[in-house]
Amino acid sequence: MKKNTFYILIGCIALALIAMLWYSVETRQPLPIEAAFIAGIVLVYLARRRVEDLIEDERSVKITEKAAVRTFQVFWVIFFAFSIGAVMEILHVPEFPRPFHPEQPPVILPPRLMGYIQLGILCLMIFLYVGFRIYYARKYGEWETDEE
Amino acid sequence: MKNKIKVYRAMHDLTQEDLARKIGVTRQTILAIEKGRYVPSLDLAFRISRHFGVNIEEIFIYGEETPAAHG
Repeated sequence: MKKNTFYILIGCIALALIAMLWYSVETRQPLPIEAAFIAGIVLVYLARRRVEDLIEDERSVKITEKAAVRTFQVFWVIFFAFSIGAVMEILHVPEFPRPFHPEQPPVILPPRLMGYIQLGILCLMIFLYVGFRIYYARKYGEWETDEE
Repeated sequence: MKNKIKVYRAMHDLTQEDLARKIGVTRQTILAIEKGRYVPSLDLAFRISRHFGVNIEEIFIYGEETPAAHG
């Protein structure tokens, strides 16, 4: 398989996934998009193995590694900091002596909102990864031009 | 780290694309190495120097910093 064919195939898979996401939202069934996502990743993996042109070498691997490590470093700090706050919501400190009719502590962060914020952080990380990738690609001469 | 890949390429009448194909990397990687934006691994440095039939020190000169290639 040629390099460009592979990229076109990735585009087609992405479009199919968007369509499947739409379908899942319309029918309120999460299973189709979950199964389609896994199938899409497997397809990309299999197609990648059949590419004859060179699409990756040690420099591109280094760019990917650097971007991934930096993203992970930022991700775990932000996600951990938020999750600590979320845990405080779940584990409120018991009082002694125990009140006969214990009052429920006020809910500051509802679980649904907690989930949305975590989802937002995950999405933010995708943008962060792309940003780091662009930075390291520039640093290691991805878009350098030559007189040749 | 400086290098003389461009000189050796000219001596062997090779384009970046030709050298990249023979070494097994992308043309962009050869360009990045030539411009000092990327320091190749020891393995790749050996492959390049062996391709030109010279010692690694003939092509790569250690000790001269190219700040963009680090970090």
